[in-house]
Amino acid sequence: MATTSTDWPDRYYDIDQILEKPGPRTDPDFLAGDGVKEFLRTKAKILVIGAGGLGCEILANLALTGFKDIHVIDMDTIDISNLNRQFLFRPKDVGRPKAIVAAEFIMNRVPGVQVTPYYGKIQDKGDDYYLQFNLVICGLDSVEARRWMSATLVNLVDPENPESLKPLIDGGTEGFRGQARVILPTITSCYECSLDMLNKPTAFPICTIANTPRQPEHCIEWASVLEWPRIHGPDKKLDNDDPEHITWLYNLASARAKEFNIEGVTWSLTQGVVKNIIPAIASTNAIIAASCCNEAFKIATSSAAFLNNYFMLIGTDGVYSYTFEHEKRDDCPVCGGSSLDLPISSEMTVEQLIELLIERQDVQIKKPSLSSDSTQIYLQAPPDLEAATRPNLTKKVQDLVAAGGEITVTSRSLPFSLSLRISYT
Amino acid sequence: MSTDSAQVQPDNKTRRYDRQLRLWAASGQTALENARLLVISGSATSTSILKNLVLPGVGHFTILDSTPVTARDAGNNFFLEGTSSIGKSRAQEAVRLLLELNDGVEGQADTSNLEHILDSNPSYFSAFTLVIAHNLEPKLLERLSALLWADDTLPMLVVVTSAGFLGEFYIQFHEHPIIESHSENTPSLRIDKAFPALQEYASSLDFANMDPTEHGHITYVVILVRALADWKAAHDGKPPQTYEEKKLFKEGLQSMKVKFDEENFDEAEAQAYRCWTETKVPSDISALFQDPQLGTLSSTSPPFFHLLDALRKFSLEPPHTLPLTSSLPDMKANTTNYIELQKLYKARAEEEKEKFKSLLSHPVDDALIDSFVKNAHGLKVLRGKQYGTLDKDPAALASAILASPKAGATHLALSALARVSSSSPTEEELTAAAQALLPPGTELPEEFENAVGEIARSPTADLPNTAAFLGGLVAQEVIKMITKQYVPIESYCVIDLVETWTGII
Repeated sequence: MATTSTDWPDRYYDIDQILEKPGPRTDPDFLAGDGVKEFLRTKAKILVIGAGGLGCEILANLALTGFKDIHVIDMDTIDISNLNRQFLFRPKDVGRPKAIVAAEFIMNRVPGVQVTPYYGKIQDKGDDYYLQFNLVICGLDSVEARRWMSATLVNLVDPENPESLKPLIDGGTEGFRGQARVILPTITSCYECSLDMLNKPTAFPICTIANTPRQPEHCIEWASVLEWPRIHGPDKKLDNDDPEHITWLYNLASARAKEFNIEGVTWSLTQGVVKNIIPAIASTNAIIAASCCNEAFKIATSSAAFLNNYFMLIGTDGVYSYTFEHEKRDDCPVCGGSSLDLPISSEMTVEQLIELLIERQDVQIKKPSLSSDSTQIYLQAPPDLEAATRPNLTKKVQDLVAAGGEITVTSRSLPFSLSLRISYT
Repeated sequence: MSTDSAQVQPDNKTRRYDRQLRLWAASGQTALENARLLVISGSATSTSILKNLVLPGVGHFTILDSTPVTARDAGNNFFLEGTSSIGKSRAQEAVRLLLELNDGVEGQADTSNLEHILDSNPSYFSAFTLVIAHNLEPKLLERLSALLWADDTLPMLVVVTSAGFLGEFYIQFHEHPIIESHSENTPSLRIDKAFPALQEYASSLDFANMDPTEHGHITYVVILVRALADWKAAHDGKPPQTYEEKKLFKEGLQSMKVKFDEENFDEAEAQAYRCWTETKVPSDISALFQDPQLGTLSSTSPPFFHLLDALRKFSLEPPHTLPLTSSLPDMKANTTNYIELQKLYKARAEEEKEKFKSLLSHPVDDALIDSFVKNAHGLKVLRGKQYGTLDKDPAALASAILASPKAGATHLALSALARVSSSSPTEEELTAAAQALLPPGTELPEEFENAVGEIARSPTADLPNTAAFLGGLVAQEVIKMITKQYVPIESYCVIDLVETWTGII
């Protein structure tokens, strides 16, 4: 029987309607009945990354649909501003780790579900850890963590071992908008393939901030980027989560705004600019998390075809959504196999190349280190190698790499290296 | 820096709601906190909707449900506590657990019977802002929607239907004017119709003898106003019209540079279309001037229509535009030039607002006037229909399905489900019920087979994921209706979670 000791008759009355009978679009391989129920309820093991806005919703949905062995990773603690949407947390939980509180809540509310929390970073875990799961769902707000997870699961794939392919379901929201997607590592487009779809973060030129402020944001950036380090020195770091630090910036930014006759600096705007706050509401998270969990349910049970492969929702003007297949990129540094062709000016210096890589939407790398087959072009660390390669920064790339030559780019923030094929214009 | 930090730092409530206040601001939050919701049934879908409204702080909710928690409810509803809830009142259990989410919200369980209320106490509903009904029995739904439709002071009704992977919802409302639509269009800078102070300022600058640094910091707005005035003076008062002229005009802008890297002149070239795109009242706004409410305007008309009428009068006079707004986008400039320009726009916007106010035939609150003028380029008026109107008009239903076959077929299958009496209908029964809704002989769309098969598979399944998905979508729309911000749907929103899409019919 497909029940565990904590199940009661009719517990899955609704879900069993789906699992006992195929629909018109169900794959013929679907084996309706006890086998699929048993797999879902006693064997499937699923990992949830993030116990925040999406994570709370994902955990609740998975528990109700019958997943019994759920693991969750989150490195954050609960803040009061989470409570308008992260519905597993209460005011008394502020300051406690999200993963632990969320796991406790789900296990209390939904009988027989085991949720195993890990309060820490995804990077703390190795391949063996990730290999134990059937599926991974990401509900993250960080691009970097998503890239890491996606690349890690792509690297995990061993063509000899079909079990090593772990479907990754990724969700994200911003205000009334959101998206959910299914990634089959090495088979469909991965997170890295779609990097150029991200909005470019607003960046203000330093000269505007320093000399010609026009907007309240310029005054706030001046306070946080230039004045904080100038006044506090290198040792006291700005803590975006410390209200006293925000108040300090707000006061400084207000004074500057007043001096330049600029209106609109508020405490809330200061916090928003400094922390790069993205508006977030329960309802959008509910939609996207439900979509992610629905795909997980369909993949785990084969009860219906799963999303191929991208669902995008915009809820600001009516309900608009777009479901499409995002294409795999042949020159994707993670799953594409071929190197990225990069035509650059023959005058370009190594330093300029580094700036270009940081700015490019389809690369987005922080602190890249560059090397070719024969030379260490520029290394960010360790300090002695950085010092040794620093003179190369002002050299022309052309003097270090022949046309058609390859440069390997690495960064501590990414679990992969990027291969560039250089040509000169 | 002596400002007392306690004065400027937000209070606990503002901190709690920070991430949503950045979307709908204090005005939206107040509207939400003044709203009273009635939710009919404590199903998984109903509590999923409510969760997303309790969290952001809706004022009050009542769950009306006379049934006890069953074993299946306890399995699929997160706002019940497993087997320990079985047998207890579904309304009371759900309200208790939903209230844990936000102590600023008031909640009530009502275990009365809806049919009884409809029979004996129809004024029950007037205490609410909005009523939500999930999978309500068709006969009661018909009575409820007719009752609420009959009087436009009674609450809006949101009808939610779901079965397995499929679902839809509909908002029944009479009229919904929106000021803060959060439109992505930006108001005109009116470079083609420069107001006198802007024109004078642009003409007063001596471009030729300017300090080179200063020259690199003239705003593109001023560059364009000046260049356009010079062009018109040489071309019978006409802006560049043909492709050749526009090209020439842009070349003229480039030749004004004193140094090759003056980005403000590059910006001017990129924005040059503003010189020959006439600033007029946008067509969707002038269409609103035909609104029937303007023909019968009286002291009891909603303030929105008094404002709209003043806007119509404003646009009849030169320069035949909407009132100017003072919001200026960022542009290449030094602080002095930018702030100077901003001051000109602010002063003019203030003048035009006064003019606008003088055209009001009825007093309106100043804050509302400010908001109306600022958002005039994004105004909307939605008008709804009674729930079920489409399904009662076979020809209209057939053409709606033809226009959007996937969403249409799914809607049709759900409507058929409501019309069969069996709780486990066959595909044949459902198909016959669907056919009966359409003009005789109408061919069902190809997509109908997929939809009806899915309905026959799981006709009564309230799946947790579908409930959560609908819960999010419905809550988004309810928030839009209550705050009168952003733009809600005007007809059925249909979902299919097999292929994961949403559609409108």
